[in-house]
Amino acid sequence: MVKEYIVIAFTENQIGVLNRITALYLRRKINIESLKVSESSIRGISMFVISAFTTEEVIDKLVQQLRNIIEVIQVEYYSNDELITQEIALYKITSKIFRESGTVDMIIREWGARIIEMNPSFVVVEKTGAREEIENLRTELEERHLLTEFTRSGSVVLHREPFADKLADKL
Amino acid sequence: MPNKQKIKGAEALLLSLIAEGTDTIFGYPGGQVIPIYDHLYSHTDQLHHILTRHEQGAVHAAQGYARATGKVGVCLATSGPGATNLVTGIADAMLDSTPIICITGQVPSSLLGTDAFQEADTISMTMPISKWNFQVTKASEIPGAIAKAYYIAQTGRPGPVVIDIAKNAQVEEFDFSYKPCIYLRSYTPKPILDETQIVQAVQMINASQKPLLLIGQGVKLSGAETQLIEFAEAAGVPMAATLMGISAVPNEHPLFIGNLGMHGNIAANQMTQQSDLILAVGMRFSDRVTGDVKNYAPQAKIIQIDIDRAELGKNIAVDLAIHADAAEALKALKKGIQYHDRAAWLHTADACNQQELRDVIQPSTDPNGTYISMYDVVSTLAEVEKSDAVIVTDVGQNQMFSARYSRFKHTRSFITSGGLGTMGFGLPAAMGAKLGVPDKEVVAILGDGGFQMTMQELGTIMQNQIGLKMIVVNNTYLGMVRQWQQLFFHKRYSFTELENPDFTTIAGAYGIANRRVERLADLRSGIEELAAAPGAFFLEVDVPPEENVFPMVPAGASLSNTICKE
Repeated sequence: MVKEYIVIAFTENQIGVLNRITALYLRRKINIESLKVSESSIRGISMFVISAFTTEEVIDKLVQQLRNIIEVIQVEYYSNDELITQEIALYKITSKIFRESGTVDMIIREWGARIIEMNPSFVVVEKTGAREEIENLRTELEERHLLTEFTRSGSVVLHREPFADKLADKL
Repeated sequence: MPNKQKIKGAEALLLSLIAEGTDTIFGYPGGQVIPIYDHLYSHTDQLHHILTRHEQGAVHAAQGYARATGKVGVCLATSGPGATNLVTGIADAMLDSTPIICITGQVPSSLLGTDAFQEADTISMTMPISKWNFQVTKASEIPGAIAKAYYIAQTGRPGPVVIDIAKNAQVEEFDFSYKPCIYLRSYTPKPILDETQIVQAVQMINASQKPLLLIGQGVKLSGAETQLIEFAEAAGVPMAATLMGISAVPNEHPLFIGNLGMHGNIAANQMTQQSDLILAVGMRFSDRVTGDVKNYAPQAKIIQIDIDRAELGKNIAVDLAIHADAAEALKALKKGIQYHDRAAWLHTADACNQQELRDVIQPSTDPNGTYISMYDVVSTLAEVEKSDAVIVTDVGQNQMFSARYSRFKHTRSFITSGGLGTMGFGLPAAMGAKLGVPDKEVVAILGDGGFQMTMQELGTIMQNQIGLKMIVVNNTYLGMVRQWQQLFFHKRYSFTELENPDFTTIAGAYGIANRRVERLADLRSGIEELAAAPGAFFLEVDVPPEENVFPMVPAGASLSNTICKE
C-alpha cells in the first residue's frame, strides 16, 4: 500500500551527503514530497527529515541502502502517526481583506495564526501546525480569493519515544 | 608513521599510497595530474606505474589486480575525460564489491564550477557508483582522504572509492604526516554476530533433509574458504557457486555440485528447486541466479548470511537473515552442527550431471572432429593448465563457457565482470591480475567483440612485458546477443555480425607471440604452445558462428524451466 513515510536520518555534516541520500530516492524514481535538513541536537550532526509516498517494502529496502552511505549515522522510517510533526507556513494575503470586516480577526483567532507584516498592499500571516490544518487555511483563503502567495516548510519532527539517546549511544 | 616537512600535495599523495603498502598503480597522465606524475618520476623505486592505453584499461587493470590479490587496486587519471573514462570500471567495481581507489585530477579549486578546460563534475558523476568519494581542494586534506579511502575500500563489503584532487592541492606545500584510518563513527564495517541466530540456523540445518549451500563472492572477500569447506564437510551439505563465487571451492571437492544461474549446471539449479533449506553465504540472489523469484526454491527455507545488511532479503524473502562476516558466521555454525549422511540427496547431482553430459556437453564436440566448440577450448585449457591457472574472462558466451568448463584448485582464480557485465573488461583485468600474481599463470579468455573494445591494451602488455596468455574465441558474432536473437527474436541477427581483422597480425604488430587455430586437430597443440610460452602469447581460435551456451534458464523463467538445446 502506498502511503506517506517519513525518513529521519542523522548524518555527519559533510558536503555531498544530501546528494547521496536523494540519489537513492531518484534511483527508485520516488518523488520527495518534502525535505528538511538542519543541525540536530548534537553539534556537527545533521538531521534529515524526508517525506515521500511509497510502499513499506520499498521504504524498508531504501532505508537499508541509506544506512550504507558512509556518513550516515542512523536512519529510521516512520509513518505520520508515530511522530510529532509541525510545519510552518506563510500566507501573503491581498489588502482586500481589510474590506471584509472581521476576516483578519477570524484568521488569527480561529486558525491560530499571527500577522507578521502588514502594509497598504498586503498582509503576511504565519501559521504553525499539522500539514492538514495549514492546507485547510490555504483552501479557505483561496476560496475567498484573498491568497496571493503561499509557502510551506518541510516537516519539523520529534519522535514520541526517546530518540536522541539512541543516537548518542552510537557516537 | 611517515612524516615530512614542507612537501607538495602531489608527493604527499604518493607517500600516502606507499604508506598503505601499495606498490603498483595503473594510470594515464593528463593536464591536471602532471604534478603527480612529476613526483612519480622520482618514486618509481617504490611505486610501479603501469601506463595503460586508455583510462578504462587502467581501472579494469586495478580491478583485476584487486580481485587476484585481495589488495586494494589503485588507478590514476586526469580530470574531465580521464575521469569519465573511469566510470564504467567504477560502476563495475561497485556491483562486484571490488576494492579499488581511483584518483582523479581536477581543475584548480578557484575554477571549480566554471566549465574550465577539462572540468567534469567527477564527484557528482561517481556518487551513485562509488562506495565513497571525496574532493580534495587543499594539500593538507590529502593524507586523511587517502587513509579513509583505503579503510573504506577494503573493509565491510568492499567497493570503489574516488578521490578527486584539485590541481592547486597537488602543488601546495604542507607538513606531511600519515596515520592510517581505523575508525569512523558513522561507519560500522564489521557486524556483531548474533549468537541466537546461529543457534537457530544450526537447528534449521540439522533438521534439514536436503540442504544446499550457495557460495557467493563474499566467501572470497571474507577469506572464508577454509571455514566454508570445514563447515560443509562437518554438516555433509552440498555446495554450489554463483558466477562470482566460482573458485572459492575446488571443482573436485566431493560436496561441490557446480554453478548456479542462467547458464549454470543442471544439478545446482534443480537441487535449488528441490532443496528444503538454502544457506546462502555472501551472495545476493541476483536475477541471473534466481530466474523467476516467485518460483525460486519453492520448498526451501532460506538462511542468508551477508556482511551488507542492505542485501539481506533484498531480492528474495528469507526466513533467517544473519548480518555477519562469512568466515565468522561459518566458524560459529560449525560448532553445533551434526553430520548427516545425505547420500541420496547428493546422488541427485549425479543424475543431473549425467543428463547434462548427455544433452549438453557431449554434443558440443564436433563428431566429425573438424570445428572447435568453445567447450573444447576451455576444457582443453583446463586440462593443459592442470586447473592451476587464473582465468579472466570477458563478457558473453566466452564468459559462460569459461565459467562452465574451467577447473579450479585455488581461490581467487576466476575473475569476471559479474554484476555489470562489462564487455572489454577481460583483457585489461587480466593484465592487472598478472601483475598482481606474477608467479601464477594468468589466461584471458575473450570473445572477438569484447577483445576489440579494449584491445589497445596489447600496447601496455608489450611495453611492460606482461606475461599474459590470451585466447580470443572468434565466432565473428556478438555471440550472446546473437544467441538471444536466435532463440527469442526469430533469428533476426540485427547488428551482431562482425567483420574482423586478422587478430594474429595485430598481436604480431605488438610483438606478441601468436598463433591461430582453425581445426579441432590443432587445438591441443595450440593451447600447449600458449601454456609453454615464456612470455605473453596470443591464441586466436576460430569457433562456429552459431554455437549456443546451454543449459539456459531464459530471463525471467523459473529455474525449473531449463532448456538444454535449440
